Amino acid sequence: MSRDLAGLAALAAALAIVPALAPSTYVLALFNTVGLYAIVTLGLVLLGTSGQVSLGQAAFYGLGAYASALLARNLGWSPWLAMPCAVALVAVTAYIVGLPALRLADVFFVLATLGVGVIVNVLMIQLVSLTGGASGLRDIPGLAVGGRRLVTDRDYYYVIWTAAVVALVVARNVAAHRTGRALRAILGSEVGAAALGIDVSRYKMRVFVLSAAYAGAAGALYAHYIHFISPSPFALYASLFFLIMAVVGGLTNIWGGLFGAAAVTLLDQAVRAEMPRIFPRVGGEYQTAIYGIVLVLIMIFFPAGIVRGGLDLRRLLHDKGRPTAVPGQAEAEPADGARA
Amino acid sequence: MLDLLPQLVLSGVTIGSIYALVALGFVIIYNITGILNFAQGEFAMLGAMLCAALLAAHVPLAPAAAAAVAAACLLGALMERLAIEPAFGSHPLTLIIITFGVSMAFRGLALMLWGADPYSLPEFTPGDPLVVLGGVLGRQAIWAVGLSIVVVIALFMFFARTLPGAAVRACADNAFASRLVGISPRRMALFAFTVAAGIGAVGGIVIAPISGATYDMGLGLGLKGFVAAVIGGLTNAPAAVLGGYVVGMIESLVTGYLAPGYGSAITFALLLAVLSLQREGLLQSAGRRRV
Repeated sequence: MSRDLAGLAALAAALAIVPALAPSTYVLALFNTVGLYAIVTLGLVLLGTSGQVSLGQAAFYGLGAYASALLARNLGWSPWLAMPCAVALVAVTAYIVGLPALRLADVFFVLATLGVGVIVNVLMIQLVSLTGGASGLRDIPGLAVGGRRLVTDRDYYYVIWTAAVVALVVARNVAAHRTGRALRAILGSEVGAAALGIDVSRYKMRVFVLSAAYAGAAGALYAHYIHFISPSPFALYASLFFLIMAVVGGLTNIWGGLFGAAAVTLLDQAVRAEMPRIFPRVGGEYQTAIYGIVLVLIMIFFPAGIVRGGLDLRRLLHDKGRPTAVPGQAEAEPADGARA
Repeated sequence: MLDLLPQLVLSGVTIGSIYALVALGFVIIYNITGILNFAQGEFAMLGAMLCAALLAAHVPLAPAAAAAVAAACLLGALMERLAIEPAFGSHPLTLIIITFGVSMAFRGLALMLWGADPYSLPEFTPGDPLVVLGGVLGRQAIWAVGLSIVVVIALFMFFARTLPGAAVRACADNAFASRLVGISPRRMALFAFTVAAGIGAVGGIVIAPISGATYDMGLGLGLKGFVAAVIGGLTNAPAAVLGGYVVGMIESLVTGYLAPGYGSAITFALLLAVLSLQREGLLQSAGRRRV
């Protein structure tokens, strides 16, 4: 508890002096990206606290971006009004998706969110009259505070990181209090949690809607910050990217979410800068090879995330898994004589 | 309107036969190991790309195709040993995330090795297309449908008629009991990934002359094949093959009659519908007869 508060104070202090120390706007833009991704990742980590994984976060991220952009750009709403409405819309969407999807056993829930992600992305590309299709939406109005329009990366740095810190505090409070205890009980055993009087499906729905709202809020901020959106950053690939961030930090660790978003974004920048020197002929998403290998290695060797102190997802979930469906758990390797 | 129908059905069957092969790989691995392998589509990509690369090195088609399938089998076995086996017994979610990681790795490596430009494969037997029921059927489409049927029949013969096939069925039915009679589930898992990779590679090589071969073709094929497998109940191989044809047909008809871009959206809407209708049914069927 006090450790968390000290951590928050240190984080806030560090964030306050970054703009003074940042050598270039590039660094600030990088920080802004980390902040936006951290908000999405925090939502994913909250979801992970209850033992669920979503591959639809990029769709919610994109939905928030498109909704806020369209409200502000086409209807002339103030972005400060458009963003909360966009987040509410994403939350309602998540609720509707969750109604059937949350009844599914863990693995099939992942697949349902993946399906939602694909469908939303297709709609973004195909509903050309509304979304501008593959070429996207331009001229999305920026934010303004007290009559002053926010223009530079530095202006948005304050907005984005205020939002990220608020998201962190909310996530910490959710995880540390009654809801968080209920979610961890669900992670341990859904049946056991239900036996203790925890309304499992209601808590799962709440945390799913909250995680979608996090992604939607980050998306809305992104749209007004960048002023331009297109469907490609919201495809399945982005959902996997967010999942890697959450997994690097440890799927159930709030602080890990922040760390994961920062570590993966920096790795991404480093790879983008260095890889063309090693493999000159390639362009595009070649860095996926590295992410894929990183993801596999983490899941095998650090299932609790690089940041220790998180709950060991692999060990905790181990008992929840269906042993009959996962053969070969025992130490002894039987002699193979199938053909005898 | 109606004169389009034969053509759409024929192209639906053609692409559906490839989805059926990918779905078959899903079902084999899921039955034996309980893992949903999202790298399944990448094996189709690897088969097609390896074959194209060998052809570019002036290897004749038949040996190139055979070598590509063998290499894909090897990669499947390597995947099982290096990525799946160390995490054996982990929660299914952990294993799914690992297969996504492997799929990203394969895609990225293919991009590094072969670049982003599409490769083209020649038709197996070049010649004029045939006219069937008022629709045009390319010779390669006949190869695609025919080879997929041959693979499916060969697999059923293997599972139903041979002793190793019976061992696989035993392992899928009850891994614990099969250990007691000396069948190693780990060895069976290795077998499952090897065979599924080979089947995927056949699908990729057969479809490449029609759709071209690119480093990113695996994701789409894998997801469609997966939808096909879920429609079939995920544990039922004949139903998964049927599911492949259903998905191919729906995609073709939607593209032809409704709107070109909506094919995959409709396919995944179907996935959501099947998932929510089958809720418990899916898991129950996992406890019932497999393969």
